[in-house]
Amino acid sequence: MEDAVDVRNLVKVYDGKIRALDGVDLKVKAGIAFALLGPNGAGKTTLIRILTTQLRPTSGDAYVFGLDVVREGGKIRRLVSYVPQEMSVWTDISGYENLLVYAKIFGISSQERKKTIDEALESMGLGEAANNLVKTYSGGMVRRLEIACALLIKPEIMFLDEPTIGLDPSAKKIVWEKLTSFKKEYGVTVFFNTHYMDEADLYSDQIAIIDKGKIVKLGSAEELKRSLGGEIITFSLTGNNISEASLKKLRELRFVRDVIVGKAEVSVLVEDAETALPDAIEILRIEKISPEKISITKPTLDDVFLKYAGSRLETSGRISEVAHVRDMIRRG
Amino acid sequence: MYDSFRNFFVMIELELRRLRHDRTELYFRAVQPILWIVIYGPVMGTARAIPTPGNISYTDFITPGVLIQSTTFLCIFYGLMMVWERDSGILKKLLVTPASRYATVIGRSMASGVRAMFQGLIIIPVALLIGVKFIPNVAYFVSAFVIIFFASGGFAAISILVASFMKTRERFMGIGQAIIMPLFFASNALYPIQMMPDALKYFSTVNPLSYVVDAARGLLITGDLSNLLIDVAAIAVFDIVLFILASISFKRIIE
Repeated sequence: MEDAVDVRNLVKVYDGKIRALDGVDLKVKAGIAFALLGPNGAGKTTLIRILTTQLRPTSGDAYVFGLDVVREGGKIRRLVSYVPQEMSVWTDISGYENLLVYAKIFGISSQERKKTIDEALESMGLGEAANNLVKTYSGGMVRRLEIACALLIKPEIMFLDEPTIGLDPSAKKIVWEKLTSFKKEYGVTVFFNTHYMDEADLYSDQIAIIDKGKIVKLGSAEELKRSLGGEIITFSLTGNNISEASLKKLRELRFVRDVIVGKAEVSVLVEDAETALPDAIEILRIEKISPEKISITKPTLDDVFLKYAGSRLETSGRISEVAHVRDMIRRG
Repeated sequence: MYDSFRNFFVMIELELRRLRHDRTELYFRAVQPILWIVIYGPVMGTARAIPTPGNISYTDFITPGVLIQSTTFLCIFYGLMMVWERDSGILKKLLVTPASRYATVIGRSMASGVRAMFQGLIIIPVALLIGVKFIPNVAYFVSAFVIIFFASGGFAAISILVASFMKTRERFMGIGQAIIMPLFFASNALYPIQMMPDALKYFSTVNPLSYVVDAARGLLITGDLSNLLIDVAAIAVFDIVLFILASISFKRIIE
């Protein structure tokens, strides 16, 4: 079967200086949920905007179901649904009217229109609120309306840019339950951007980690975690930075697969933590480093991210900021 | 092509639906033009300082001008609002629909004409109340509103063009004023062009507002339709040029 997305050496430079995408290569199979995971400014949104034909790439090629995003944009736009990160419905008309406007833009015939809209609203749990003005909706309802809108045409592929940003956990869960059942029912490919680790972990079949405009790692959540090895010993350090020499010694230990240095912490990837721990502590002791805390964990996507992108995903500040912006837009 | 036409009508329908829910903006916007015809017109009229064609009253003379100033104002801000839609996701989503992006620009621009016509319909009864003598001819009246509708799209396109050079919403208010006021004062809205200094006369001949006012004044008040063809042609050229420029500049809004 044809790949849903095929991107080759894609580069996007804004204003001749900002290199948002720096040679992206990516293939996404049809019918899966695909997560593009990365920090702010990694190029996630730019990639989605190129794939949805809003922006032209500076160089390289991108295909959606074999169609070229530059030359066959019109054909692609008939196959895709897109939910931007920002709010994308009109707040001064009702939820039903929003969908009606889009149904007409998409050319859904007048006989089918009402049925299609009712179905989309119902599937997103908005049946009762359909005739209320969108400005009276909560953030979660607005997001569900946007997704209902994306479901109007039965798309081949849905592009969702941070689909659950700023939503509370229960609203988030509802959105994903709907998306997952929609994927199963119609075989739609779901391509989403996120910087929520748990979202990528729980709801995607495949994850690409993107950092500084490049895909740094690709695989399922399980594969990515397994690639790090058995267990992780994390030493939390206060103040005293660890020297290169002692890092080298740690790396040379028998059971150690890799050592990753983070902000005020050192993570040591090992086969088995219990056997490796005494030796590792010994090295730190010789170096006169006394860790504040030692923890042993199974690898998470966050650790995967740390290994391949060189930093942890810091999310909290960003989420409240976007939630705030969406809030302001809703209030008008 | 078919998609584009459909998109165009959907944008107009969208505007009607928004108006059905909330017309407050139009009522507030009507305050200013009403002040012009209820206070400024009669007061200036008593001075008899400005010669009017066919000796119609001064208030009658400025009514079409003030009407069009207010609809133009509305359209300029409407175009700026599209840039606000860029900050929200609406524009992005519209770009990922089958219709061409040019249809989106033109459709959104023309939708401002719907709002403009309703604005006009609010002002007319007030003008009737204070005794402005309109030509009692339905065909003329309808023609005037059709012309206002089409001209509105061009004015909305001007602001899309200007807005595409701006990056922040905070500058909108100032820029809206900066576009509309020169157009208004350097037009025949408040005084005949013959009274202007030469430099202003030249500007006024390329000022689209003058042609719209002239057409509306002929159809609503004086009945003098001798310039109507020229007016309509000028408005058509204005619309086409601005739609093309706005469509080109639209690329900048997207990125």
